[in-house]
Amino acid sequence: MERPRHTKVAIVGAGRGGHALLDLLHRVPSIEIIGIADRDPAALGLQRAHELHIPVITDVLDLIRNHGASLIMDVTDDPEMEAYLHAHRPPTTDILSGSSSRLLWELVQHESKLEAELLQSEKLAGIGSFAAGIAHDINNPLQLILGLSENLAEERDLAAVHEQARDIIEAVKRTSAICRDLTRYSRRASPHEDVPVSVNGKLDEALRIARYASSFHDIEIIKHYQPGVAVLGNPDELLHVFVNLITNAVHAMEQTRGTLTLETAVLHGEINVRISDTGCGIAPEKIPEIFEPFFTTKAPGKGTGLGLYNVKTIVNKMHGVIAVDSQIEKGTTFTLIFPNRELTG
Amino acid sequence: MSEFRSGSFIGEACEGRVLVVDDEPDIRKVVKMTLQKAGYEVLEAENGEKAIEVINSGENRLLLDVVICDIRMPKINGAEAVAYFRTNYPRVPVIVLTGFPDTDMATSFLRQGVVDYLVKPVEGEKLRAAVARAMDQRELARL
Repeated sequence: MERPRHTKVAIVGAGRGGHALLDLLHRVPSIEIIGIADRDPAALGLQRAHELHIPVITDVLDLIRNHGASLIMDVTDDPEMEAYLHAHRPPTTDILSGSSSRLLWELVQHESKLEAELLQSEKLAGIGSFAAGIAHDINNPLQLILGLSENLAEERDLAAVHEQARDIIEAVKRTSAICRDLTRYSRRASPHEDVPVSVNGKLDEALRIARYASSFHDIEIIKHYQPGVAVLGNPDELLHVFVNLITNAVHAMEQTRGTLTLETAVLHGEINVRISDTGCGIAPEKIPEIFEPFFTTKAPGKGTGLGLYNVKTIVNKMHGVIAVDSQIEKGTTFTLIFPNRELTG
Repeated sequence: MSEFRSGSFIGEACEGRVLVVDDEPDIRKVVKMTLQKAGYEVLEAENGEKAIEVINSGENRLLLDVVICDIRMPKINGAEAVAYFRTNYPRVPVIVLTGFPDTDMATSFLRQGVVDYLVKPVEGEKLRAAVARAMDQRELARL
């Protein structure tokens, strides 16, 4: 029988390099990070380690000798540390340091850049499908503004003038809100910006944006929000996750019309978000594939196949998990579960 | 169904009866305002389903002159409504008034016999001219 290959990694150095390694490696199931050490107790990566429940071990010798590390990753870029590690490592433990560690750091940076590019390009590809919705939502208020202005040029009733001027102001505000929502959505997510994000607020914002991508006519929306539910994460990325899931849900109901249900709750100390539709459902044999990159059921040119892949990447980055439950012709529910990092952190 | 018969009084000069179909109340309001100035009687419907109800009610079957129809709407959408009007009331000219300029869609509507395809925002003058043209076509159709 083949033994599972499990690499136990000790990270030395919790600067930018250590921080990035933590973010990358903790998502790989075959890698266990046994601990991280840094001389500077205020190092950026140590805070991250706390969030990820990875042990912070102050003594380097203790870290490399007593916790069963099979690989030491030295990202201090300090020749003295490199020499020290070589002198004190257990005989069966490998060391990655010096130029190989720098190479790894460059690969990590490259990978995170690619990931951001992928997210951004998928987002921009999706915005193309917003054109009809945006045109509708901008041209309608413009029609009102134009019609009222033409009327104002000859209107003699002062009360009517006041009322119509107010209507014009409201229409302008509505139009500018569209631009605000869209610029916020299309901008590149700024890296490393984990802040508490209101889940209910982001769901509502995503609803407004998803309306451009698909017609919500005849779709009933039910919200069951637990007040004040928040997660730690990047607000732009979480918005992207919700826009994606809501748009998929509405597309699934295109033929049948139906109900979109959005739920948030704190259950057993974890944050639960559910997005359900009563649409066409996903065939059981397709379910294992839906989070794979470039998987799509849409017609060529309609979907990038990166939507759910990016959703899962973001959710995992936030230390959450995503699950799907679907029945053909009945509907689909996506459940996202995030740890309550605010309470533990 | 008397609520559909607004704005006309016995004895008032009436240029014709126009039905405005749009899910946005603001659009219906401003189109109505624009057309009433030119002496038209204006009826409203908020979607295709309501529009079909209006055209099938009472004297509208005979007296409705022009339909102005949006495309992106709930229930029965604009495309479905236009197809219904063209099939069941070929004598009534239809003008499409949409927020989304789409050449393919415009071509397909014009092929179905839609007399005009206007993109919002449209100036009052243009809208009134389009309705006047549609009224002329209706007269021709009757001859």
